Amino acid sequence: MTPPSATTEARPELVTRDAFAPQRPAWVERATSADHKTVSMLYLGAALTFLVLALVEFGLMRLQLIVPDSTIIQPETFARLLSVSGATFAVFFCVPLALAVIGYIVPLQIGARGVALPHLNLLSAWLYIAGGVVLYTSFIYTPGEGGVLALAPLSDTVFNPDRGMDNWIFGVGLATAGFVCFAINLVATVRNMRAPGMAYGRMPLFSWAATVIGYLLIVIGPVMIAALAMLTIDRHFAGVFFDAGEGGAPLLYEHLAYIFMSGIYAIVVVFAAGVISEVLPAMARKPVFSHRAVAASMVAIGVLIPLAWMQNMYSAPINTGFGYFAMAAALAAMVPIGVLMVVWIATLWRGTVRLRAPLLYAVAAASTIAFGLAGELAYSVIPVGWQLANTTASQGDTLYVLVGGAVLGGFAALHFWLPKMTGRALGEGLSVAALLGMLGGLHLYVLAMFFAGLQGQAVDVFEYAGGTDLSTLNLIASIGAFGFIVSAFVALGSLAHGYAHGRLTGHDPWGGSTLEWFALSPPPPHNFDAVPDVRSAEPLLDIRDSVRRATDGDGAPLS
Amino acid sequence: MAPLTARRIACRSLVPALIALAVAAAPASALQLAPDSPHSPNAGDMHTAYWVMLVLAILLAVAINVALIGAVVRFRERRGRVPERIAAGRGATRRVGGVFAVLAVAIFIFGVVMTESAREVEPSGPDGLTAALSRTAQVGVTGVSVPETQAAETATAGEEPPGGEDAAFVPQEGQPLAISAIAQQWLWRFEYPGGVPGQRTFSYNELVVPVDTAVVLNVDSTDVVHTWWVPALGGQVQAVPGDISQTWFKADEVGTYVGGGTVFNGTSFPAMVPRVTVVDPEEYQAYVEGLADDLAKAQETVRDQVSAASQAQQEAEQTP
Repeated sequence: MTPPSATTEARPELVTRDAFAPQRPAWVERATSADHKTVSMLYLGAALTFLVLALVEFGLMRLQLIVPDSTIIQPETFARLLSVSGATFAVFFCVPLALAVIGYIVPLQIGARGVALPHLNLLSAWLYIAGGVVLYTSFIYTPGEGGVLALAPLSDTVFNPDRGMDNWIFGVGLATAGFVCFAINLVATVRNMRAPGMAYGRMPLFSWAATVIGYLLIVIGPVMIAALAMLTIDRHFAGVFFDAGEGGAPLLYEHLAYIFMSGIYAIVVVFAAGVISEVLPAMARKPVFSHRAVAASMVAIGVLIPLAWMQNMYSAPINTGFGYFAMAAALAAMVPIGVLMVVWIATLWRGTVRLRAPLLYAVAAASTIAFGLAGELAYSVIPVGWQLANTTASQGDTLYVLVGGAVLGGFAALHFWLPKMTGRALGEGLSVAALLGMLGGLHLYVLAMFFAGLQGQAVDVFEYAGGTDLSTLNLIASIGAFGFIVSAFVALGSLAHGYAHGRLTGHDPWGGSTLEWFALSPPPPHNFDAVPDVRSAEPLLDIRDSVRRATDGDGAPLS
Repeated sequence: MAPLTARRIACRSLVPALIALAVAAAPASALQLAPDSPHSPNAGDMHTAYWVMLVLAILLAVAINVALIGAVVRFRERRGRVPERIAAGRGATRRVGGVFAVLAVAIFIFGVVMTESAREVEPSGPDGLTAALSRTAQVGVTGVSVPETQAAETATAGEEPPGGEDAAFVPQEGQPLAISAIAQQWLWRFEYPGGVPGQRTFSYNELVVPVDTAVVLNVDSTDVVHTWWVPALGGQVQAVPGDISQTWFKADEVGTYVGGGTVFNGTSFPAMVPRVTVVDPEEYQAYVEGLADDLAKAQETVRDQVSAASQAQQEAEQTP
């Protein structure tokens, strides 16, 4: 029987830029290089900047809500903070953080020397950054007061005549257009540039997650762009898409916005699932329990969660049949999520679990998402949703999923893969302490706000009446929120320190089994000098085996 | 080495849990663990659904977390331990999926049953508006007539009843009381059946309804999207301009029930607090008749003033 071969013949591709490209200043190179790794660092830097902004805005809003009938922040200012912070967190942090990691790692994981459409990729990053700049430019005059989703007709000129609303619309629109460009490049790359022998069944699970996210963005991005275009026509060109008095349908905007938001929710879940499915096997030194089940579950989640968008609209004037459809889709999505959880537990089972920062963050993300999705299960039942939708009770489980997936899952990904991006190991003590702080703060906040929601506190309020339990609950929630924010800043600081000053590490610090660990750290512009043939879902394991065999078993593993 | 690690792990998982417990324990004993206790059959259905799903969600979340953290702690790296390269056969995860699918189907059926039960408008009870008034009518205390047109009006709930001469305050026996709740930034306008020619009686922010009477609310908005939500009397309904949403309730006890909005509708969002005051049918009758009288008087005043003004204008024109 012939052993799995690990040929390291160079594929006939030209790598020319290395020595002959003209020298340009470093910042010009960082801003204009179409190398997927440089572009991803742009994404990463911008996404973390928006995380800081979202945390500051969240902190300001929680400051206002510490005491009842508070007047620290004016209602108008609160409404502006609310409108900007929602978009900042969901659109300008959650999605691009996932795209940053995907854009860097996926070409390496599939053994590609670049991406299919590098300049589209670069354009996508700048569209996204331009969107963020446009959104925040509104602080020079008056930001919009349209709320988190800018629901029409509240976002129309009658109720939001200021230019700030246009900034919101164009900012979110530009970023979404950028994400769609990114997704087109991603799908083209994954479909065409996988290493020889890498069938879809052998594709690493994070690349599977990335592919699902790519297709999702191509579907939901244009939906939001269409909604925002209609809103712009309504605002400035006498359109009546959302003007009920002229025969328009305000409900249409609600549908489109919720399709987009459910898509973002699904993206965060699938991204976290991809990260966890890579980190757990590597840190437990075991293959994932079922490659096929995880891949299939991520595809199913990507289809079912966006289909359940009307889960947010049980109270809207829609046909009850649509409500049942949404409830069915939301409940069906629980099947692949449950399978994922079981596969993750089984992956840890009988492994040797190294309690390092990436693993702890990944387990924390899985645990938090389990809380959030269990809550989601409850709110997807129509009578429960009727009572508690849009209260702080149900906001908690959305936060569990978005924060667990994008912040904790994102930090898990960064702790796992930053050594690949920089060649440096991250300090772990501070990161783990920050993780504990974030978990404690998050649970405290969600628990307190859960009880506040049961007493009728809605999301997005700038004040509440005193003399009830709400005072105590909001105080506790604010303490939790501040704990979370401070811990997140500590985690970011630890990350930044490791990025610049971490000790040098090899190209495979975790003993990974996928191709990104075969490249140097940081990888050269062309990623691989030689791309191995792929014979299984764990190509690096095959390479180590064949080296061991070639050296009669006494050769050191290639790591 | 090993006990130290174990202690560290224990601390890691215990500390946040203990903090959460300690902070939650004090207020939790005094806190309500569900939305406001129901005072309407549909709110009762929602209450039941909430408790079933809450228990299920907590069970699932705790089971998954215990297994996950247990696996991490139990199989943490220790000297001499070798990972076992086990993976699933082809059918193993399918069985797991099957279990979750059965659970999902069960929850779906439960959800549909509870939804249909909450949606079904129950007839008014023995203390309700029509029944109570027909009792008094029998002994001839009040001479309230119940014209046939009212039945048609409630049947076509949602359309704006013109409130002509024959619009009455009381629905026909067996018919729910149809009230329009119209939202605008940032108040609620309630329009009751009956009134003066050309206009229905109305009140702002405070809705007065008779006890034990099925009330159908036709919720509409004149500007942006609002939400009607009085937890004790049932779930949320969005007021979307151009669409009329319906909800219903049958309050079982006299009293005041406070609600609130849930969808952000502009700067003064928290100020929009609807109140439902549930009173005896006779009191309700007196209330809407009083509103109608006020409305008639106001219209008369306006008419007088307008005619006086136009008379004055005519006189001014006639004087050279």
